[in-house]
Amino acid sequence: MSRRVWSRLFFRNRVENSGDQVFVLSLKIVAWATVSLFAGMLVYLVYLARGAIEALGFNFLTTNDWNPPMEIFGAAPFLVGTLASSFIAIFIAAPVSIGTALFLKEVAPKRVARVVGFLVELLAAIPSVVYGLWGVLVLAPVMRDHVQPFLASWFGPGTYFAQALGHVLTGLFYPFLLIADVLGLTEVTLGTLSEKMMALAQGLFDGPPLGLGLLSAGVVLSIMITPTVTAMSREVLAIVPDSVREGALGLGATRWEMIRIALLRSSRAGLVGAVILGLGRAIGETMAVTMVIGNRNEIPKSLFEPAQTMASVIANEYNEADGLHLSSLAAVGLSLFLVSLLVNLAARGFIRWIERGTRA
Amino acid sequence: MTDSEISLRTEGLSAWFGDHHVVKSISLSVSRNDVYALIGPSGCGKSTFIRCLNRLHEEIDGARVQGDVWISGDSGSENIYAPGSDPVAIRRQVGMVFQKPNPFPGLSIFDNVVAGLRLAGVKRRSVLEEVVETSLKHAALWTEVKDKLKKPGTSLSGGQQQRLCIARALAVRPKILLMDEPTSALDPISTARIEELVMRLRSEVTVLIVTHNMQQAARISNQTAFFLMGELVESGPTSRIFTKPKDTRTEQYITGRFG
Repeated sequence: MSRRVWSRLFFRNRVENSGDQVFVLSLKIVAWATVSLFAGMLVYLVYLARGAIEALGFNFLTTNDWNPPMEIFGAAPFLVGTLASSFIAIFIAAPVSIGTALFLKEVAPKRVARVVGFLVELLAAIPSVVYGLWGVLVLAPVMRDHVQPFLASWFGPGTYFAQALGHVLTGLFYPFLLIADVLGLTEVTLGTLSEKMMALAQGLFDGPPLGLGLLSAGVVLSIMITPTVTAMSREVLAIVPDSVREGALGLGATRWEMIRIALLRSSRAGLVGAVILGLGRAIGETMAVTMVIGNRNEIPKSLFEPAQTMASVIANEYNEADGLHLSSLAAVGLSLFLVSLLVNLAARGFIRWIERGTRA
Repeated sequence: MTDSEISLRTEGLSAWFGDHHVVKSISLSVSRNDVYALIGPSGCGKSTFIRCLNRLHEEIDGARVQGDVWISGDSGSENIYAPGSDPVAIRRQVGMVFQKPNPFPGLSIFDNVVAGLRLAGVKRRSVLEEVVETSLKHAALWTEVKDKLKKPGTSLSGGQQQRLCIARALAVRPKILLMDEPTSALDPISTARIEELVMRLRSEVTVLIVTHNMQQAARISNQTAFFLMGELVESGPTSRIFTKPKDTRTEQYITGRFG
């Protein structure tokens, strides 16, 4: 590369002063170092995973079996485990966090808000392994003895909830079935789709209450991401100027109506962003999840069953792995990397789409 | 002046921010269909005073109000600071336009105008559409926005946004309209349009307008009150206040010797 191109890469504007030149150059080096670290990690992961990628190809992600002694490696259980536990976490944490942020910003007196806000942020300072311990020693027994039996009796097999959910899911997936049918991709008929969705809905809260499992992992994750989502939501709400709040109050809005017309409508995009940030954290979280999820390499049929996430299987098996096993774990790591990336990109797209609806 | 002609009357109205006494025992009466200007130097309490008239002042942390404000409605006059009186109900009768245009972000022009009506439970599309047209016509904005009612309110220019806020306030048919320096953030042309608008609104609604622009007060109001350090120094017909002020402080202020 010619000198000119090199200097173009590092200097956008001509910098006259030599002290400035050194300063700007060091900033550029630091910035480029981060980018190259990212690229380097990606390349090295692919390098480590090349054995699994060559041997298994795309089937790696769709195979529902992980059996190291038999040299069978399929990451589908972990993909499902990661996505399911993260979505459970978001399902719980999003309303709690946004509710907390609204309380702190709009309802609570300033002094209360300061104390409560501090305590919520303190949750973020608790080490992951401590959450894991709490999950094993406190949460799991409570889930086993109280929460799971309760859920099973209200939403378990044979309940109206399971029935209704089965119908809703069938309706939701029917359009995809139609498209796949037209394209000749599937043999599934409406009857079998409905059967499958019913089985899914009936099984969701089925099985023995074990305590450790997918649901408990989701609950622990939800607590871990609450401070992040709450803090972000508070920032988003703080952007709305007081004059807009007063406008709503001056029009005869109650406090709740003010929140609805003046705040939530204008900060939708930001609140979604806050939730996605939490989702990103949940997807990558390892230690606490490994301790409470039960570590079973199968796609769980019920929220009560033990499962495994991409992060937890790496943590569990990396020490004893070699050969294709090690390479497959690297491929799991690569998949985790890509899933996180995809979630973030999708989130950005989604936020932009919402913003287009709210602004000109 | 008989009681039925009075639209709004304050009695010994005081307001505080914490320990800071910013409005000091003000008694004032405003007749129906007055345009009543409140003038005075910055920090004289005129804005706080007006914010007491729809009970908005108390929404600020540490703010406090004492005294009575009587508003005449269909069923005689009512003290908005009487125990058990509901601030939300009062704010539906007393509209307010703020210093900075504050349309609701994320809401269309249409939804901004009918926000107050929707709060009051009006749902019929035909009613809402009619109100949007009349309110925007009242606020002299209809011709400019009638083809883009679905666009966000925040996409308009500053002056248009302020007229949108006036339309929003008028849509609920308030008896009294409070305006807190409504033109101070606007350019001269937008200011002129809003001044014209205020003069036309007189026939429908009683207007109290805070302004630090004395020419504006002289142009559009028929009554003026001069505030200084939280006290009401002098009030009366605008022409008299500006030509023959009784108090020397009023005279000094309007001749530009301070403030």
